[in-house]
Amino acid sequence: MKFRHGRWLLALIAALTLLAASCGGDDDGDTVEAEDAEETTTTTEAEVEDTAEAEDEAEPAEGEDEEEAAPVVRADADLVIWADDTRTPVIEPLAEAFGEDNGISVAVQEVAFDEIRDRLQTAGPAGEGPDVIIGAHDWLGQLVTSGLLAPVDLPNAGDFSSVAVEAMSYEGQLYGVPYAIENIALLRNVDLVPEAPATLEELETVALDLVESGEAEIPLAVQNDPGDPFHDFPLYTAAGGYLFGQNPDGSLNPDDLGLDSEGGLAAAAQFQAWTESGLLTPSLSYDVMIESFGEGNAPFAITGPWAVAEEDRGFKATGVNYVVEPIPPLAGTTAAPFVGVQGFMVSANAENPLFAQTFITEVMSTQDVQAALFEAGGRPPAHTAAFEEAAAGDPDIEGFGKSGVNGQPMPAIPAMGSVWSAWTDAYALILSGESTGEQAFTDAAEQIRTLIAEG
Amino acid sequence: MLPGSVTAEASGDGQRPSRLGGLTLGLLAKVAFLATVNATSIWALGQLIPEGVWLGVAFIVVSTVAIDVIYLTKARWAIPYKYLLPGTLFLVAFQAYPVVYTAYISTTNLGTGNILDKDSAIEQVVSTSVGSTESDISYAARAAGSDDGTLGLILVDETTEPPSVLVGTEEGVTEIASEDVVYDGDRVESAGDFTALTLAQAADFEQELAALEVPTEEGVIVLKTFSRAAVVGFRLQYDEATDTMTDVETGVVYRPVDGYFRADDGTRLTPGWEINIGFENYRRVLTSEAIRGPFLQVFVWNWAFAAATVALGFAVGLLLAISLDHPDLLGKRLYRALLIFPYALPSILTVLIWQGMMNQNFGIINKLTGLGTPWLTDPWMARASILIVSTWLTFPYFFLITTGALQSIPKELSEAARVDGASGPQAFRQVTLPLLLIAVAPLLIASFAFNFNNFNVIYFLNRGGPPIPGAQTPAGSTDILVSYTFRLAFESGRGQDLAFASAISILIFIHVALFSAWTFRKTARLEEI
Repeated sequence: MKFRHGRWLLALIAALTLLAASCGGDDDGDTVEAEDAEETTTTTEAEVEDTAEAEDEAEPAEGEDEEEAAPVVRADADLVIWADDTRTPVIEPLAEAFGEDNGISVAVQEVAFDEIRDRLQTAGPAGEGPDVIIGAHDWLGQLVTSGLLAPVDLPNAGDFSSVAVEAMSYEGQLYGVPYAIENIALLRNVDLVPEAPATLEELETVALDLVESGEAEIPLAVQNDPGDPFHDFPLYTAAGGYLFGQNPDGSLNPDDLGLDSEGGLAAAAQFQAWTESGLLTPSLSYDVMIESFGEGNAPFAITGPWAVAEEDRGFKATGVNYVVEPIPPLAGTTAAPFVGVQGFMVSANAENPLFAQTFITEVMSTQDVQAALFEAGGRPPAHTAAFEEAAAGDPDIEGFGKSGVNGQPMPAIPAMGSVWSAWTDAYALILSGESTGEQAFTDAAEQIRTLIAEG
Repeated sequence: MLPGSVTAEASGDGQRPSRLGGLTLGLLAKVAFLATVNATSIWALGQLIPEGVWLGVAFIVVSTVAIDVIYLTKARWAIPYKYLLPGTLFLVAFQAYPVVYTAYISTTNLGTGNILDKDSAIEQVVSTSVGSTESDISYAARAAGSDDGTLGLILVDETTEPPSVLVGTEEGVTEIASEDVVYDGDRVESAGDFTALTLAQAADFEQELAALEVPTEEGVIVLKTFSRAAVVGFRLQYDEATDTMTDVETGVVYRPVDGYFRADDGTRLTPGWEINIGFENYRRVLTSEAIRGPFLQVFVWNWAFAAATVALGFAVGLLLAISLDHPDLLGKRLYRALLIFPYALPSILTVLIWQGMMNQNFGIINKLTGLGTPWLTDPWMARASILIVSTWLTFPYFFLITTGALQSIPKELSEAARVDGASGPQAFRQVTLPLLLIAVAPLLIASFAFNFNNFNVIYFLNRGGPPIPGAQTPAGSTDILVSYTFRLAFESGRGQDLAFASAISILIFIHVALFSAWTFRKTARLEEI
């Protein structure tokens, strides 16, 4: 009886196993047929992470993924695009229309911005990655040297701002269709300072006088918590510094590091002087920057379009009377901000590279689409005609654009990670008074050289 | 018919639990459980076998068979395993495997530049190489098919007037006489034997079209998009026989060395590929000048930080537990509930709030006190701040533990000591504390091991800062080994150095494991009191 009982049990288990297995097993395989494309555009909420503050998007190499989240699995579609939460709704209708026109299925998957790069490194080679990603140009160094992106051939490259095309190129090869240019500029409180200062010296005098008289609390709101080479870069270049020298072909030469060059050290000394005069405030975080300028407690700020557009405390929302203009020069030397370019790139492991290339070079690169992307997302377009159209209706865009004309693309070489790290430390040491400018920059240059040699 | 069921039907008046009833409750749950396990395994095998993940396949087969055997057998030896098996399997899958995998990664060169396997790397090196052989010849193109099923491209050379139409196949290009070309508006609909495909049709042949190369005298014509084709020539060519890469322009030969194709002068082609480099990463950790620089300082602070956090957290927790243990205290429950708060909030959130409060110029602490204390910018103050925050996060845990442990120690023991003439503190030190330590010593060790790697507090409070002036590599006064590793591995000169990070992680793991094992042995002796 015992034996019979056991057999009965095994049969039941086997039957249930088969039943369960057949229920769970039908979600793999079948690719979507071209015919039923109408209903297959989907957004997968692969990731529900709180949106990092808008500033983070311009901040390179900081805040690597803090918590590992569940892996993103490639959606089942002919053309798969990875975009972040702010861009997904913008791209989706365009991608959908492209899919419908061509009878293919399209999926836009939402992935947190910083994670697009990290996830592509694991998912791409495993064949589970997307065909198209949205990305920042300073990812190119890592992604291209790791062999994760396919070159892009853009016939109408001439329609785009040259700095954007330059930024999207790595070692002479174009790797993406640029769509937005972002850079920082000077924001001036018109109520406190009616006339634009012509030079940084003048700006310093005006700002310090206003603090002296009690009309303002912070002379120049530029974030430095504890140090911030990205936001300090225009001050550094205006004082005569450069980051990397250029090879004859225009590419960057990592062996020619400018931090401890003559100009670099002079800029460091100038930075120290500004710290001592009180123009620059230590431990000034992004939050303090946006709140002090937004509430009229700072006559000047150096920041980007994200601080203008932020929902509750952005400068548009607080109603502060401001203008956006280029950062003034110092002793005749132009202040050059870093320019960040965002665009569409094609994975080297794309399942359908031809659709991906067709989509980004023939759809996303047109003036209409670039203008539509601006309408929906508010980021200044990389397409020249679309930019001019946008700037005509928006003085902020025009101001940031003018500031960007002086700018240079943020370097994309993989060694930038170590540059940000060491350089941030150097600024922190100057601001806390722990090191002199020259000492801090000499040490930072030494650290960067060591790290590059180690790598 | 089964005797059992006969009984069940015959004596259906409920004098004893029916056999069928027994079956439905206990066995049915078991059957359902095992069926689910087996079904999940079959599903997982279906996913893993095509991918060739044989280690995973082996693990699933072994564990499924083990589960089935152990839960179905009636043998006595299997009883303990019925309790141990699930935990053991989870331990292997989520603890042992990651350690083994990390150890494996630490012997490779995985990181920026060395992510792909060699074949993909070769393909990438070639396909991204451009040079003067890249011509500017491009065509308006459409994918096309002939009646006999050959794929081809209809190419329109727009540089000639009128535009000439060509058909390209794997064999080569042929010009099509204009009378054989049918237009649909501006676009060519068919040329000669070939009819243009709609994109939906082309989608079915996407892979073939992407790989289609049309040989011409100038180079190979490939489709760039579905409406454009261009002649491409690659500067680098791979020779399988010699396993070398040759620059056809300059004649420079690149040979595979250490995961990259390198020329004799040392220049290398990217991307490289992942290779096994043995103990090279460990050698680097232990001998590199740059890493050794701040390493000792980081290491000493790491120990001090973990030990001080546990000591302070335990002391504060114990003190509060004793105070709240007083029988006359009113509102005990309220206090206890309030004291759990720092523990109940997500630690990252707490740390970020502390960071804001401790900001030297704008933080609420300095604004209220007007002290201007450099909480986070002075090396020693920053270390103190870290300890304040980590103690804040640790004490509720020890408060909870010691409250429970104190209540389980019989009051008679310390009362007896008092009767024998011991003072209050003496009785506590010599009777209560040793008994308490027996209960909490393993938790102290666990807390030490946790805090030794407490990345959250260090990184989110101050990013390891303030920086150490003049360090060989960027390092901060409050960096611990993990946060220092994080800098070295993810802000390295190469980009991201995952293999190197793995090597340091393994060293930290060994270190903490040895220390924990040693202290567990020590405390085992405590229990003999």
